[in-house]
Amino acid sequence: MDSGKPASRAALTFRSFLVPVLILVLVVPILLGGGYVVSRVLRHSFNNSDARRAARTLNFTLLKDQLDEETGVRGYTSIPDARFLEPYDVARADFPGKAALLRKRLAFLDIPGTQATLDDAVAANKEWLARVAAPLLAAPRRKEASFLQFRGKALIDRFRTDSQRLDDALVARESGDNRATQDAIDNVSTLVLFAVTLIVIIAAASSVAQNRLATRLEAERRRAESEARANLELRTAFETEKRIADTLQSAFAQRPLPVVPTLSFSATYIPASDEAKVGGDWYDAVELPKGRVLFSLGDVEGHGIEAAVNMSRARQALISAALIDPDPAQVLRRVNAQLLSSGRMATAVAGYADASSYEFVYATAGHPPPLLLLPGRAPVLLECGGLPLGVIEDCAYRTRRVQAVPGAVLVLYTDGAVEHSRNVIEGEALLMQAARTALENNQRDLAASIRTEIFGRHPVGDDVAILTIGFAAGETTRMTFAADSTQGAVVSRLTGARPPDERARLGAVA
Amino acid sequence: MSDASMLAVVKMDGELDISRRAEIRAALAIDGQPAGVLVDFAEVTYADSSAISELLRFRADLGRRGLAVALLIKSPQFKRLLEYAGVSDAFAVFDERADALTYLGSARR
Repeated sequence: MDSGKPASRAALTFRSFLVPVLILVLVVPILLGGGYVVSRVLRHSFNNSDARRAARTLNFTLLKDQLDEETGVRGYTSIPDARFLEPYDVARADFPGKAALLRKRLAFLDIPGTQATLDDAVAANKEWLARVAAPLLAAPRRKEASFLQFRGKALIDRFRTDSQRLDDALVARESGDNRATQDAIDNVSTLVLFAVTLIVIIAAASSVAQNRLATRLEAERRRAESEARANLELRTAFETEKRIADTLQSAFAQRPLPVVPTLSFSATYIPASDEAKVGGDWYDAVELPKGRVLFSLGDVEGHGIEAAVNMSRARQALISAALIDPDPAQVLRRVNAQLLSSGRMATAVAGYADASSYEFVYATAGHPPPLLLLPGRAPVLLECGGLPLGVIEDCAYRTRRVQAVPGAVLVLYTDGAVEHSRNVIEGEALLMQAARTALENNQRDLAASIRTEIFGRHPVGDDVAILTIGFAAGETTRMTFAADSTQGAVVSRLTGARPPDERARLGAVA
Repeated sequence: MSDASMLAVVKMDGELDISRRAEIRAALAIDGQPAGVLVDFAEVTYADSSAISELLRFRADLGRRGLAVALLIKSPQFKRLLEYAGVSDAFAVFDERADALTYLGSARR
């Protein structure tokens, strides 16, 4: 979204430059070209017009000269006095120069046929001078004078016709030129109209495009705003849910552990590194009457607030049930019935440690087995089994009793502690190794040490909760393990299948 | 084994984790009233708690309908997860297909 907007703004800027550029590129050449053509046509037309006017004047002058010559000759023939001959002399002197000038003008105007007409007129004049004027002037009273006069009239008529023809041609050319000029002016008008139309169209199109672009940008801006708002709302909602879940989680998980002289506790809880997976792990240890301490640890299916709420229900149900009847199998049965309505599966291990008899009494529901650490022995995974809570009605669970000794530690954990590698069998081996190392290092906070041994400083994918319950070691009892003991021995192998209430006597120390 | 044609068989393979939960649920939705259901997970290499959860819901549903179920599993870690879940209390779990079919055949009588 953000990357799109500047590009569109650039497009807007580009388009605002496009209009003047288009006008410059398209319209200005049209106008310049048109102006040049028109000015050429007009200049040509003016030049022609001058030449035409001069040519017509010369043509008339020649006609006048011819007529003057004729007038002079006629006057002299009737009264042979040199004074009557004067127009003839003047005109005769003038004629050749004027004829040459007219020839030049006609050449400039280049009107077809006019040169020939002029030649014919000049020829007529020459013939008249030679064959009419000259004989009459030589002998004005000669016999054939009237015959000569007739011949002269024919030549003069011929001259007059040529002159008229020249004038007609010049006039025709003038109207032709006028028409060309008119056409040129018309063309220029059309051109200007075209240019103006073009400018209007470009401007209109650009305006429409600008509007459309502006509308699109506005729509994009609104969409971006609403998206940002929706994102913000979503994030706020997510953060709120996460905060509530975290709050619930920490409030539930960090209930203070009991302080009992003969028992020691440690616990750790690591929320999943992926915030969305923070889920429903819990642990509890609560002092009961008769030197017993209730413990429970479990995991409600799902993540987020709903898991946290279901976890809280499961956990309260466990404590309530244990207060009515501490037998772990009965506790899980009751809790199973209560959780059925939630439709959420939970796994749990619940039970109690009896400080007077050094016994761990527990039951599991779909949960990984508790780990028992006995001084001088390899860590042992205890029996597990029993269906998860909240799925199947009328589940029966089995109470298991483990005889421990001073210094013995029970380690409870959620599946995140063994399923991190997607292989629970490897996970169990690693957990046993970690528990053993942590205990040998005589760590005060055993749960945290086990966690560190397993995960180091790596983030964990799923929630992990670990709770340890230990019987206080006697003065002389040190937690050491036999070097040759086999890891991973499962209690069931030692005890075999026994009735639920039969004690699994494992605590005998060599 | 002509009787086996009357059985519903659900077969899945690979890793059954939460990303395939809907797929697992759909595969385990059995219509009608077959003689029994063989859930063949022999080629499943990994399963997590969401698969267990779906299996248990499936079991609860079939229990109400009175159908016999045999579960065929080979992956050791999957078996271990089923031990956690006490699934042997709810399912007949087998290593071998023939045993599972025998079980379903006898359960029907």
